[in-house]
Order: sequence, then structure tokens, then C-alpha cells
Amino acid sequence: MTVPIAVAGYASLLLVAVTLLVLAAMGLGHRRRLRREQHEVRRRAELTPLVHTLLDDEDERPAPEVTAAPALFDELVLDLLPSLRGSDRDALQRVLATRGVLDRAARDLGSRAAWRRGRAATLLGSAAGTEHTAALVRLLADPDADVRSAATRALGKTGDVAAAEPLLAGLTAAPGLPRGIVGMALLDLGTPALPALRDALTTGAPTAQALAAELLGMHGDLAATPALLATLADRSSTAPSCIAAAGALGRIGLPTATGALTGTLTTAQLPAVRRAAADALGRIGDPEAVVALTAGLADASPDVRAACADALAAIGDEGRGRLRVLSIAAGPAGTAARAALDVLALAPRRTREVLG
Amino acid sequence: MTHVLVVDDDPIITDLVAFRLTRLGLTVSRESDGEAGLAAARQLRPDLVVLDWMMPRMNGLEVCRALRADPDADLARTPVLLLTAKAQEPDLERGFAAGATDFVAKPFSTRELVSRVTAALPPGSVPA
Repeated sequence: MTVPIAVAGYASLLLVAVTLLVLAAMGLGHRRRLRREQHEVRRRAELTPLVHTLLDDEDERPAPEVTAAPALFDELVLDLLPSLRGSDRDALQRVLATRGVLDRAARDLGSRAAWRRGRAATLLGSAAGTEHTAALVRLLADPDADVRSAATRALGKTGDVAAAEPLLAGLTAAPGLPRGIVGMALLDLGTPALPALRDALTTGAPTAQALAAELLGMHGDLAATPALLATLADRSSTAPSCIAAAGALGRIGLPTATGALTGTLTTAQLPAVRRAAADALGRIGDPEAVVALTAGLADASPDVRAACADALAAIGDEGRGRLRVLSIAAGPAGTAARAALDVLALAPRRTREVLG
Repeated sequence: MTHVLVVDDDPIITDLVAFRLTRLGLTVSRESDGEAGLAAARQLRPDLVVLDWMMPRMNGLEVCRALRADPDADLARTPVLLLTAKAQEPDLERGFAAGATDFVAKPFSTRELVSRVTAALPPGSVPA
């Protein structure tokens, strides 16, 4: 009996010793990591003023301490870059180019590792000018989805309007680009992208046409009104294109669109399209739409009836007067009118803000 | 000495703004959220506040309104410069309605910021 007890005792001791060793190793590792982090914080604090002085520097050649700075310096520059514009941004981009950061990233665009290609695209998007647009456009067809998305975002950030067309084309390419990311990139390109968006609205594939219409509406692009009206009137337009065109016309807010939108509200087959037309009419607020919107209160779709009621409420005294008359009627139109008036009574300002 | 309070939850921004304004010869204090920024403004009585809009705990507009409503008339008149990514037309309306003196849109130019800070302060506040 004594031998097994002794063995068990030794085993317990060994287990305790191993546990203590593991705990000690973990503690040591944690301490080392903490020290490394503290060291990096110190180095960042030391290097940050050097980065800031770059913004005062109009000299094209960087100071020797900038050239000799460690790689952490580049990280600090890249962290700061998205917050700045104008000559500050130019100065930081110049330093990154001088230190070879941009050339390295440009080389990495062709790397075999997807994460490296994606990282390089992101870096060039936020740090470079237009000189890498062609290489980034090629990445829109990358086999890796994350790389394609990184290249899409990067092209928006370069501000190079030459990227607009390939971005729109990428929506229907195989493999395609995510619509939301393309939309954000095109918005990042700003108003210089408007001509490309107008082209996509008239000649683009349906997906590009719908996105272009949506973005033109966000820009409030008056010049796009005729093309948006044509999209709405074109029987071959897809439902998403019609919905986006109606939404854009509502955002632009020209009463010249009232006739086309009331026509859509009356004749479109899909409830989603009729609803978009009603929403747009509410945004425009033209009293000429009151008759069509009142008729829309008897629409077969409850969504369309609700949108018509909201639009009438948004149009002003004439629309609200019509709602009050209808609210005493039985049936779906009366229900929709009463619901709209209830919302107005509860939060009149909020409703006007949302609908107007 | 002219005193500027910088309130922004992004330390990259507060570091840079503090660096530029200090080089201009101004004394700079920093806070990283709206609530602490308001408390610091009440305690330090700065000559100007550079304020971010979107911040934790209390946003820039709330800070701005609280400053304008302060019973201390001097503090209520403190110029407030909104340094913010929210700089669309409706944002400008809301900012000015809340009592902002001026706006600088992010991404920003430090030269523009320095010019606007100088313009918002009384003449002679910034050392030549």
C-alpha cells in the first residue's frame, strides 16, 4: 500500500510543479507583451511630433530624421492621413513616397497572398494619388472577395474619377462587386463622378442603372432629371431602376416630375414601384399630386395606401384637408387617411421632417 | 496667455490640433468626451473651444447648447469651433442653431484650422 501512495504523492508534486511552471511562463509572456506595448506607446509618443512637423514642412526633400525613422513612423503617418486634406495630405503622401512605402504597396498588389494584396490596396487608396488607379481597377476582378472589396473602397478614396466607369461595370462582372461598397466608393468620388453616373443611367446594365439613379438622387443632380424621367417612362426599365428613379426625382424635388410620378402611381404594376412614386410625390410636395394620391388611398396594396396618406400629409394644407374629408369614409381609403392624421396629430413636426 | 480647449474622442486629432495651436503660442487643454469637455470648460474658462460633434457621453451640439445656456455670461459667450465630419448644409444649420461660432470640416487642413481659430479669437490673442 505504501508504494502506490508514494507514487501518487510524486505524481501530485510533479503536477503542481508543471502547473507552476506553466503559470510562470504565462506570467513572463504577459509581462513581455506589456513591456512591448509600453515600448510602442513610448515610441509612438516620441515619433508623433516628428509626423506633425511634416505638416509645416514645405521642403520637397524630407529631413534626415524622417528618412531614418523606423517603420512605426509610417504607421503614424497612415493613421493621420485620412483626417487631413489639402497641403497636409500632400506632405504626408510625399513622405510615404520618399520612404518607399507606396512602391512597396504597389508591388504587393501582385502578391500571391490575398491579405497582402488587400492591405496594399487599402494603403494605396488612403495614401496614394491617381497613379495606381489602373492596378487597383485590375484588382476589381481579383479571385478573393475581400481583395475586390478593398480595391473598390480604395478606388473611391483615390478620388480618381476614371474609376467610376470600372466600378459601375464591376456590378455586373463575374465575380461581381458588392452594391453597397460600390455605392460608397462612387459617393467618395464626389460630384466629378456625376457624368459617369448619368451615362450609366441611360446606357448601363440594369444593376448599374438602378445604383446610378439612387446616387444621382443623393447628389440632388438637377441635370439628371430628364434621364430619370425617361427611365421611369421606359417600359423596359426594371423595377429596381424605376424605384430608384422615382426616389431620386423625389430627392431632387422638381415639380416638373409630378406628372410622371402620378402616372407611375396610377399605372405601375408592382406595388413597390407605386409606393416609391407616392413617397417621391410626398417629398416634392406639389399640390398637383393631391388627386392622384387621393385615388391611391384606394390602392389594393396597404403599403401604397399608407405611402399615399403620408404623402398627402406632407403636401400641406390641401393634402391634409383631403385626408380629413376622407377620414370619415369607410373602407381602406378612410383607414389610411385616419392613420395618417393620427400620426400627424401625435408628432406633427417629426412627420413633416421625415416626409418633407 | 490665450487658452484653447480641444475636445475630441480621437487622440490623433487632439494631439495634432494641440501641437499646431501650441506652436502658435496658445495654451491648449484636451478632453476626450463631451461631458469631460463641458466640465473642463466650466473649470478652465478657455478663450475658445474646438469641439468635435460625434463623441461619447455628450455630443458636441449638447456641449455647445450647455455652454450657451450657462449662467456665467462670459462662459456663455466663449467662441466654439466645431471640428466635425458632419458638415453638410443641414448639419451647419443645426450647429449654428446650437450656438457654434464656426465650422471646420473633417478631413481638415491644419492651415484652415489655424486661420479659423485666429479669426474666432479677439484681435491680438494670437502672438504675432
